[in-house]
Amino acid sequence: MEKISGSESPSQASSARAAEQLHFTGRGGEYFGVWIVNLLLTIVTLGIYSPWAKVRRLQYFYRHTEVAGSSFDFHGSPIRILIGRVIALGMLIAYNLSVRLHSPLTFVTVAGLAVVMPWLLRNSFRFRLYNTSWRGTRFHFRGTVAGAYRVFLLNGFLTLITLYVMAPFMHQRLKAYQHDNSWFGRTRCSFHARAGQFYLIYLLLLAAIVVFAIVISVSGIGGALTALSQAQKHGMHPNPHAVFRALVILYGGLLLMGVSIGPAFHALITNLIWNNTRLGEHRIECSMSPFVLIWITLSNLLLVMLTLGLFIPWTKVRLAKFQLESARVLPASDLQEFVETEPETIGAVGEEAATAFDFDISL
Amino acid sequence: MLRADYFDGRSTRIRVVTLSVVGEDLVVTGEDIDFRVPFATVRVDERLGRAPRRLRLKDGTFCEVRDLDALDILLSLTAHRDGWVDRMQRHLQWVLFSIVVCVVLAVVAYKWGLPWAAAEGAHRLPPAIGKALSVQTLKILDGGILLPSKIAEERQQALSAEFHGLRLPEGGTSDSTLLFRGSPQLGANAFTLPDGTIIVLDDLITSIGDDQQTLAVLAHELGHAHGRHALQLLLQSSAVGAFWTLYIGDISHLLAVAPAAVVQARYSQALERQADDYGAALLLHNGMSPALLAGALKKLAEPHSGSSMEGYLLSHPSTDERMRHLRLLAASFKAK
Repeated sequence: MEKISGSESPSQASSARAAEQLHFTGRGGEYFGVWIVNLLLTIVTLGIYSPWAKVRRLQYFYRHTEVAGSSFDFHGSPIRILIGRVIALGMLIAYNLSVRLHSPLTFVTVAGLAVVMPWLLRNSFRFRLYNTSWRGTRFHFRGTVAGAYRVFLLNGFLTLITLYVMAPFMHQRLKAYQHDNSWFGRTRCSFHARAGQFYLIYLLLLAAIVVFAIVISVSGIGGALTALSQAQKHGMHPNPHAVFRALVILYGGLLLMGVSIGPAFHALITNLIWNNTRLGEHRIECSMSPFVLIWITLSNLLLVMLTLGLFIPWTKVRLAKFQLESARVLPASDLQEFVETEPETIGAVGEEAATAFDFDISL
Repeated sequence: MLRADYFDGRSTRIRVVTLSVVGEDLVVTGEDIDFRVPFATVRVDERLGRAPRRLRLKDGTFCEVRDLDALDILLSLTAHRDGWVDRMQRHLQWVLFSIVVCVVLAVVAYKWGLPWAAAEGAHRLPPAIGKALSVQTLKILDGGILLPSKIAEERQQALSAEFHGLRLPEGGTSDSTLLFRGSPQLGANAFTLPDGTIIVLDDLITSIGDDQQTLAVLAHELGHAHGRHALQLLLQSSAVGAFWTLYIGDISHLLAVAPAAVVQARYSQALERQADDYGAALLLHNGMSPALLAGALKKLAEPHSGSSMEGYLLSHPSTDERMRHLRLLAASFKAK
């Protein structure tokens, strides 16, 4: 670490600073109380309370996440989240209806959604960052609308026509758009991962899927063949139990694949993204072990099923703790020096003032 | 006196201050900081777990307090009262109460709410949707698992004629279409599509032998058509799937499918019973005995009565109980 800061900027070599580990201090038992009470209120109000529940949930996690002795905070307004959800729901319904009923309207609706989607997503990034703060200084997202159209529409289109060969590239562009345009106060973030590094991880993912598919089809087809040959020997129809067994192997394998390849990929790509993100001169280091993440995901899944969901708060806390605590900030200088943007520049640039259209569309 | 970190909202610099309450005011003192504000203008964060609580001042600055118990003592000197949701989240009895209510609501919704809503929905959906779904389903089945029937043409016509001649308990005759198909995979089976079309498979007709009993099975299937059970099951499984995706969706989407299948199996027993009752009523209405249906079930339950018998009964569980119920209905009919 000293080597990094030394080679990077010699002027700061003298002031090599200790890495600031992220800490998550939440506890499952405490979070359970927050979770169940807000779940009840959401059910009783037929979902109308859910934005308030979401804000409280996010506040629980943000406020228990600490770096350099201070915690983060979330300031989002539940009303804006409610508006976002109504819009998202409306779009979902419009999309579903138009896809089922084939008419000229279908094309209009789908095209209309494609046109507003990048704008909505960009506003939703802005909402999320603007409402996140650390030591009273807020984050900001300054990605342009044009940038959003390039990232979502143009690259999305390229990904589709190249049959997903460009998916890793698109992912890299998306993250560059998000991280290069993120600010903490007056300090800008930058993103340095190259598309080639994304391709490498996607190739690993592809290899894992191919290996799994071969293993599963061999075992599944093997089982089915055994069942068929046994059945033919006895001059009967295929034994349903053997067929069933083959199906269980097949679907069990698929399930295992879904829950283990996903987390492994997530760990690798998250490490890549954060190791290549800088906040001004400050570096970030993320070393999430794919194996531990697979273990946590699988055991969480099992515990949630065995308790019919009552264990969910503990699993969320456990997952957040593991993910957050695998990250560190490597400060290049004093973390006390961040300065919030002046309120007047906000007005002049007309960005944060325009938050009237900012809402969180994630359900 | 309470220690806190003061932030001016313009930089990330920490300034250590002490807080105290004097009269109606909050007093903040520290290195080059010394001011007092009316406590009524201070917004205090909820107490969430062990997270630091912030006292937000009107000018956008705030004090961050880590000693939560000491803060509670300070707050008790003021007019501040924690919100009711805030208090509920921290009190064991309210947490337990929430668990109980959530579980009860979940059970009620699962046991009564969902079947009721799905049945209502199935009856309210425009017939065109059921029709479209059935055409689609039949196309898929005919392209794969179903083969043309090998039952003699005259026997098919005779069964069809009797089927269409059945007078429904609610009056009139059925407008359900009856289709004959063969399928080695599905064996002795009969099923109803969302628009009420009934498909009867060759193995069922041959293994029952007696066409009066086959007609009784068709009466049972008319019960499914009358209750729109196929649509109801479809709606139920979609709703359960959607619920699980929302509930544990971020853990695994694949897993969300499994509970739908379990629910399906459980609900279908209640629907079979409904279809049996309707079938029995229909048979009685046409001067036939519900014992015919019981007899058909018995034949289908016999293990060595020809080719793969499991089909119909696998999709129609707890045969013994159903036969007992039907015989009871038949006996009460004779007693009259």
